[in-house]
Amino acid sequence: MLFSLTTQELMERPDLWEAVHRLRYRVFVEEMGWTDLQRPDGLEIDQFDHDEAVHQIVIRNGELAGYQRMLPTTRAHLLTDVLADLYEGTPPSGPNVYELTRYAVAPGFRDGRRGVSTVGTELIAGFVEWGLKRNVNQVIIEFEPMWVLRALQLHFLATPLGYQRTYGNQQVVATLLTFNEHTLDVVRSRRNHFAPVLARGYPDMLGQRRAS
Amino acid sequence: MGHFDRTLELIDQLQHAGTAAAVCEKLLGVTSGFGLTALMAGTVPQPGTPRNQQKDHVLLCDWPAEWLERYVARNYVDHDPVVSHMKQLQAPFQWREASQGIRIGKSGGEVMGDAGEFKLRDGLAFPLITLDGQIVMVSLGGEAVELSSAEFGLVSLVSTYAIGRAMQLHTMAGKTIDHVELTPRERECLQWAAVGKSEWEISQILGISEHTSEKHLLNAKSKLGAVNRVQAVAEAIRRGYIN
Repeated sequence: MLFSLTTQELMERPDLWEAVHRLRYRVFVEEMGWTDLQRPDGLEIDQFDHDEAVHQIVIRNGELAGYQRMLPTTRAHLLTDVLADLYEGTPPSGPNVYELTRYAVAPGFRDGRRGVSTVGTELIAGFVEWGLKRNVNQVIIEFEPMWVLRALQLHFLATPLGYQRTYGNQQVVATLLTFNEHTLDVVRSRRNHFAPVLARGYPDMLGQRRAS
Repeated sequence: MGHFDRTLELIDQLQHAGTAAAVCEKLLGVTSGFGLTALMAGTVPQPGTPRNQQKDHVLLCDWPAEWLERYVARNYVDHDPVVSHMKQLQAPFQWREASQGIRIGKSGGEVMGDAGEFKLRDGLAFPLITLDGQIVMVSLGGEAVELSSAEFGLVSLVSTYAIGRAMQLHTMAGKTIDHVELTPRERECLQWAAVGKSEWEISQILGISEHTSEKHLLNAKSKLGAVNRVQAVAEAIRRGYIN
């Protein structure tokens, strides 16, 4: 189950809010070593957690298993404000283009040795479903070049927005992914799970398992 | 047109290439500018994979044909220092690093020496990891390879798009072969076989001869690639042709 919440909705649920920012800290500061984001409280929060950000959350067995944040490109976002050396020319923007940031799978949910976990593909299915419902058909992602292959395997149309750069020990390339219903079909058949993943409303309190 | 626009145009062409050969040609069109004139990409076979199955792992290949033959015939994949280096490192590197950085066993030296015979003196290789965690090895080679680290990045990015396209073409080809067209009669016979009816019983139910019902089942069996009737029924259910 994937829930899509506004920043306001997330803040109304302190348990979720804290789990989200703690997972982001764990993954991006502790594992990836993005030391600029270090904070004593162990929560990762930045200037883009504004009122138009969309937080997508995967819950498994009452635990936060995966997360990604969608940012509108109609106002300042990472590519334009922080990662400006990752694009050449004018980056795409508009109501149909979002930037996908902070894609994270919680450590306990990374099944598969090297491949993408089922939580990882649920996040992908989730943003495609979410986008198609609201006429969003493109996302900008800054990811390792390796992900280009996976995006093509899922039948996204991929376009690099600039050259790849090295940040610390990581290679990063900004890429525009375009998708349609066909992409959703491919993602679903790769997952072998055809039902929609996007749920309405709020998840239960964390730590509480659903009866069924 | 700027340098980046040329790259974009190329990547666009790659994503519309209709065959693996066209993908190869486009990619080598770029890389040959850096002395990389030969290409091999594929999933890495487990050590000990039978020779006749090794070629199934190839996604893109524009190596000299004789070299590929020799590579497979002599089972070089299990001894190639470039392959073993990549399995350890899981990051891009130049062939010369593979031969310098690690001690090459006698068989490894033979592979590299032999490659030189085919004007593959140096090259670069890098691993990619698919959705399901399979390693795809990409190896580009030539006689004199010269490229800066930025160019290395460009070549590996463009190659990634090429492999992605090759994998798309691979799955699409797989689907056409995989799709089985059963006639309505074949499906009916399978459906009755699935509930345990014999050929004679099926012939009575459908009002056809026993010989005909047997023929329908045999046809369905061969179309589904099954070795016996039980497997044909199981396969038809798995594919959703009967329920």
